Amino acid sequence: MSDPGDEKLDASETPQEPEESLRSMLRGALREEGPAPDVLAGVQKKIRERSGGKFYADGWSTAKHPPLNTYLITSLLMLAVLGISYALLSPMVGSPEPVRNQPAPVQLIPAK
Amino acid sequence: MRDAPPHSVYRQSSVTEADDQAERKFIERLAQRDERAFNELVELYEARVFRLLLRMMGRRDEAEDMAQEVFVQIFKAIATFRGDSKLSTWIYRVSVNLCKNRMKYLSRRHTDGEDELEPVAERAPLDEAKGVTFGDVPAPDRVVEGYQMERVVQICISELEPDFREVLILRDVEDLSYEELSEITGLPDGTVKSRLHRARAMLKSSVERRMGEKIR
Repeated sequence: MSDPGDEKLDASETPQEPEESLRSMLRGALREEGPAPDVLAGVQKKIRERSGGKFYADGWSTAKHPPLNTYLITSLLMLAVLGISYALLSPMVGSPEPVRNQPAPVQLIPAK
Repeated sequence: MRDAPPHSVYRQSSVTEADDQAERKFIERLAQRDERAFNELVELYEARVFRLLLRMMGRRDEAEDMAQEVFVQIFKAIATFRGDSKLSTWIYRVSVNLCKNRMKYLSRRHTDGEDELEPVAERAPLDEAKGVTFGDVPAPDRVVEGYQMERVVQICISELEPDFREVLILRDVEDLSYEELSEITGLPDGTVKSRLHRARAMLKSSVERRMGEKIR
């Protein structure tokens, strides 16, 4: 990995901290322009494809943050559906008939 | 939102034991293929990795594609991370190695798309001057001069061999220590210093040759 010419460092080659102009020149030329892109979705897609769907297979785990709003809205919708069902179906249900059967008489077996 | 500069991360992570322990637990979750932990890792490092790659490669589209590839490779290889170095250093190492391989591949295919240096005056009309190198310069001619200088430096950096470009960017732009450079490149300390010295000298003389004047 290293070039043969790299190995020897004579006294004249001791790296000084660079002159400020060189450093500022480098930083000016390589400064950030624009925001860094969001690579997460692309990474997840590549992993999903290359793992044959073993990782990041579902939609939930690929989200950046837990989709709390989705959970909340789904729960509220389910409660509403249950409430409406109860309101619609409860009038159709009659009251239970009382049981009028008398208990059968009990005959005791006399002792011998 | 801008991230904190990398050097502050390293300063922070002259770490306490609690930080070490938190990082170990985080790495364990990653090794167990915890997808949420991996999402956190990507969010934490994507900007730094992208900027390093952009500085190395000089092309946004290539850098973005390569950043995705870096994280895919990290996902595959995280179980092999032994914790000998900091996680961030290891991520830098993966990034730099993949980037160098990619640059070699591109240069073999002659598709790196770097233009020949056009006359700077044509490339740097005054209304496109976005910034200058040497602080605020009110005079228009100095603004253009600063912009031209940046273009020249970008071209000179792109002409450096990847091994030289790597140490120059990691040390003088990313502000990493020699120890970290040594861990990332896998080179002995002395070799890193020697390579850095040569990289600076090559860049300086190349810029001076193109600009026709000494760097002040």
